[in-house]
Amino acid sequence: MAINLTPKELERELRERSSDAERLIRSLQNCDRRHFLKVTARFAAMVAAAGVIQPQSFQLVNVAHAQPVPGEKPEALFRFAYISDSHLFARGMTHRFAKGLLKAVDDVNALDPQPDFVLYGGDLAQLGRADELELGQQILSGLKAPVRMMVGEHDWFLDMGVKWREMFGPDVYSFDHKGVHFVVLNSVQEKDFWTAKGYTPEQRMNIVAGLDDARQSRFEVGEEQRDWLAKDLAKVDKKTPLVVFSHSPLYKYYEPWNFWTDDAEQVQALLFPFQTVTVIHGHTHQLLTNRIKNISFHGMLSTAWPWPYAPQGLPEYTVQMFRPDPFNQFDGLGDGTADVLPGGVVNKHYSLWNRNPRTVTYADLAGNTLAGPRGHAGPSY
Amino acid sequence: MTARSIAWMAALGAAALAGYSGLAGGLRPAESEAWASRTVYACDQRKAVIVEGVRADEKLPPAKAQRVADLLTDLMRYCNEEITATIALNETITVEANGRVFHDYVPGGPLPIAKASFGEPTAREEQIWKAELDKLVAEGDRLFHSDEIGTNGVACAMCHPHASNTHPESYPKFQTQLKKVALLRDMVNWCILNPLEGLELAENDPKLKALEAYILAQRRGVALDAGKH
Amino acid sequence: MLRTALRAALLVPLLLALPATPADAEDLALPVPAGVLPPIVPPENPLTAEKVELGKKLYFDRRLSLDDTVSCATCHDPRHGFAEPRPVSIGVGGAKGVRNAPTAFDAAFLATQFWDGRAATLEEQAKGPITNPVEMALPDEAAAEVKIGGLPEYAPLFEKAFGDSKVSIDRIAQAIASFERTLVDVEAPIDRFAAGDASAISESAKRGWELFNAKARCNTCHGHVSAYPLFTDDLFHNIGVAAKDVNFEALAKKLQSHPEDLDKLSHEPGLNQLGRFIVTKEHKDIGAFKTPHLRNIALTPPYMHDGSEATLEAVIEFYDKGGNPNPWLDGGMRPLGLSVQEKADLVELMKTFTSDGMERFAPLAELMPKP
Repeated sequence: MAINLTPKELERELRERSSDAERLIRSLQNCDRRHFLKVTARFAAMVAAAGVIQPQSFQLVNVAHAQPVPGEKPEALFRFAYISDSHLFARGMTHRFAKGLLKAVDDVNALDPQPDFVLYGGDLAQLGRADELELGQQILSGLKAPVRMMVGEHDWFLDMGVKWREMFGPDVYSFDHKGVHFVVLNSVQEKDFWTAKGYTPEQRMNIVAGLDDARQSRFEVGEEQRDWLAKDLAKVDKKTPLVVFSHSPLYKYYEPWNFWTDDAEQVQALLFPFQTVTVIHGHTHQLLTNRIKNISFHGMLSTAWPWPYAPQGLPEYTVQMFRPDPFNQFDGLGDGTADVLPGGVVNKHYSLWNRNPRTVTYADLAGNTLAGPRGHAGPSY
Repeated sequence: MTARSIAWMAALGAAALAGYSGLAGGLRPAESEAWASRTVYACDQRKAVIVEGVRADEKLPPAKAQRVADLLTDLMRYCNEEITATIALNETITVEANGRVFHDYVPGGPLPIAKASFGEPTAREEQIWKAELDKLVAEGDRLFHSDEIGTNGVACAMCHPHASNTHPESYPKFQTQLKKVALLRDMVNWCILNPLEGLELAENDPKLKALEAYILAQRRGVALDAGKH
Repeated sequence: MLRTALRAALLVPLLLALPATPADAEDLALPVPAGVLPPIVPPENPLTAEKVELGKKLYFDRRLSLDDTVSCATCHDPRHGFAEPRPVSIGVGGAKGVRNAPTAFDAAFLATQFWDGRAATLEEQAKGPITNPVEMALPDEAAAEVKIGGLPEYAPLFEKAFGDSKVSIDRIAQAIASFERTLVDVEAPIDRFAAGDASAISESAKRGWELFNAKARCNTCHGHVSAYPLFTDDLFHNIGVAAKDVNFEALAKKLQSHPEDLDKLSHEPGLNQLGRFIVTKEHKDIGAFKTPHLRNIALTPPYMHDGSEATLEAVIEFYDKGGNPNPWLDGGMRPLGLSVQEKADLVELMKTFTSDGMERFAPLAELMPKP
């Protein structure tokens, strides 16, 4: 599948990169996936050699202070990274959304040490089109670490997941890693709103793509998937730490924007019996933190555009980010990592572009001692 | 009646008319400064205030202009009536309405003419007007959610679902991206130019009006708070 | 109060043959038009004619350096818009610095001094170069006090300015800062145009102004605000000037093992490229430098913190390509797609930022040493 760079886009691309990269970029013009992988790897190496390293591996907390004393703070068992909500249009590498995803891939590739895996949090495409998904896959194939894919509504509702499953495999699955049980859900199911109205697939997708479009249904995990989840979890010891990846938040934040999972209570009921549960979700494009009983909920940042905090329903645990500056196309966006600590609890790290990074530690969340303005102190609505 | 007597009666009638109009219009010697006047109309073109002692091309002094404006506003209570008031040099007000003349009128005071019952909008009129508004808001809604305003596929609704975070009630304010005090429409145009990478809309472009209408309609009931950051 | 006002009223005609002060004798006599926020004067250093006179002498005095070769004016040269015509400044013994000295003109308005904003006032800034080994290279502040204190011609000037002839580094800095506060002018063709005079600038510059405030996206950082017409937001942005040659992460790690001397770090080859990060240690400030003001910009080439863009045309090209990519590049930077004509119009525009009244500062150029 060739990457379609128009001559104008190519010219702009060339002006942005160094002369070495120009040759590489030229070769992207008629490029198949395998060739692209090689090219990207060479490009990444060349970029690294040129000394332009990405910020992710740079831990600010070490700069001004001495190295932490071993045992003073729990060392992580392992780390995974996340990239989410890229909403790609198939408009080439110079489109601002493609640039965002490329920037995130660069960030994660520069992590040292590399994370155990990278979670892709859903909404890779904007309108569920094959060329959008393929562009996303090509960009993500530049990641050095293995990738775990999760689906979002923008990926699903054009063809109800046919292309997604063909490219990325099952949308619902689980795996175990270093003593932690990971579950990946498709939590953006919607009750059929299109058949009765006779909507075409494109119309259905466009409706779902509108966050504030009330014609769609609310997100849910659905009975079938909850049954699957119950069976999957039945095989897991209650002391085993659980990390659940979900696109919708698995709690109820703001219904009009589908910052919402309709059967959240039933899903949570399946999770409560476990000692340590963390939910990592996408869809909300903002710094977002919640805790319900023993479940921690962390939202992922988007690489495409930020969303304002909803007029009501914001969890009290959330320390808001100040509203993004629209002059800055990367403000309020980013990617990040999560440290899984002994006991399976998670410290969530947000790498905000053009802002200072933020870490939400399990200790602060469980103890409700997160510092910063809470609730509706923020200005965004 | 002989032709002669008809001619006499016509002449007398003309003289009487001349005399009457002289009376009704006041004694008017040759045009001079003191008898100059300027007429100011209200927005419905049915209320007029004649200000004596000011030439037709002369600006009213501020205090007098305020008096004229207050008087027009007062007379606007009688929607759809044609009323002419005259402020004489000695500041007394004479009001003519429905062919009747009222001397020494005091604004706010009673004017014994019936208030036109057809001045207030009927239920049907309001229905029509609301339908027109809803059309403009719906067009704005469509544009707000579409990708046709910009060139890169980004829609306003992407960052502003339900027009959230637009806070139109905080305008005018110093808009840091524009580095000057801006109105809502200035910021709409800035967003079109910058995140949407489109071309700015002209001030009188119907699309700009539609977008503004949609945004404002989403914030009904929110108190105005110009300058809030 | 009255005495200060009187002195202030005498200040102007006494010194630089500036036009007479405004009628209100309460104003410090700085030629700032009505409606413009005046330059910042710290309460502990009120502006007086005597301090200005002393400061002027010190500003041009090369004896403030180790080997009597470098004065403030050497790098903030009145013949070059009070700025540095070389890419980086050269100090005592030919020591090459790493920064292009910013203009001292109109610096009195700014919220911070230095490219990384590490000095809050002109007084604080003035002390820096005196003891900087690659600038004026005196071993320490005491050396400056001793050197100036040992020059008899200064005693009466210190006496008049401060009440007694004691020479301290604070007084030296206060005097120099006071002089610099008179190096202000914010009346240029662009200001008249912005105020409504349509004939103030050329058609090309007018087109440039439209671009400046829209397509070229200059005004968000370099905005002209009528109350603060300096063309700066006083913030710090990474536009990638040195990004091609720099490994920010390695530098930031290296910073851990360095002492906290900000002045030293800001001149360290390599480390200085971290910019504002050196001062704040905040992640978002890596590689960020202060938005410079643009008044008299046509008089002060070369441009950028390292003098790497020699001309206004080169600066426009730099922005047109979107700066140099690096992980901390300010998200406001992006390729602009300007045409040849548009670029030329922007350059024409920037020439209109030169103040009309610069010739009254010409006598200061006479104080530079003859070659």
